[in-house]
Amino acid sequence: METDYDQVLRSVAQVKIAGDDGVKVSCFTEVLDDVTLHFQIIRLAKQIYVWIGYNSAKFGNLYAAASTRPSNTVSVTSVLGGTSDNTGSGIARRLVMKTGLNIILACNIPKNNPLLEAKAEKMLIRKLIDLGYTMPTPLRAT
Amino acid sequence: MEDANFPVRHRKFQLESKGNKTEIVICSYEDHILVIATQIGAMGTILHARKEEGMTVEPTFSVSVIFGKRDEPTLIATARRLIDHISSFVPSKPLVLSLGLKDHSPETLKEIVAAVIENRLW
Repeated sequence: METDYDQVLRSVAQVKIAGDDGVKVSCFTEVLDDVTLHFQIIRLAKQIYVWIGYNSAKFGNLYAAASTRPSNTVSVTSVLGGTSDNTGSGIARRLVMKTGLNIILACNIPKNNPLLEAKAEKMLIRKLIDLGYTMPTPLRAT
Repeated sequence: MEDANFPVRHRKFQLESKGNKTEIVICSYEDHILVIATQIGAMGTILHARKEEGMTVEPTFSVSVIFGKRDEPTLIATARRLIDHISSFVPSKPLVLSLGLKDHSPETLKEIVAAVIENRLW
């Protein structure tokens, strides 16, 4: 578990989604060893769309995740593509758990790569915190 | 608003329609076009549209709602109109269209289609 991240999240718990209500697009690229990860974050007022590109600009599989009634458990569904291995669905689900945001994720990271998944997730969460998009009270894993 | 080194090009703009501010983002991936049009601050209904490789002379398209409202034919018509346009330029790229709208009237959707085509990335 990312205890450092838990601490960071607690300390930035006062951060709100940015004040202006326009749509904001952020793009960045990170290179790890021999892998290039592209990230695109589109912030809408009530939802965040994220695309993760693994070495290419292919769209990948699309997932939607959010906390759902009655007990705020996180639900995730595959919207386009997606096999039962569902590399992106885990990321989408954990993003919602850690940030409390309503997430749509498109991701083409290949399956059977948990280390890469974890790194991509970490970078994404760090960026979401930097951009000030995380909700004041992030959900906890049950 | 395009970063020249990022592999995905995008364009963002807004338009006013019947008193509603519509924000539109168009993204061009390697194998898809994504269009988000929102008035409600969320992606709303998501549709997928692509041109079918067929035996007939006339092109055929497959358009479906993959998330959200399945009972709004105007949304499907919008996706159909856009994929028609896209496929005449880049035949192999399907469209993922997200429409988070307060009003689904044909006038609004026509304006959105016109604005998207005017600012297209294909």
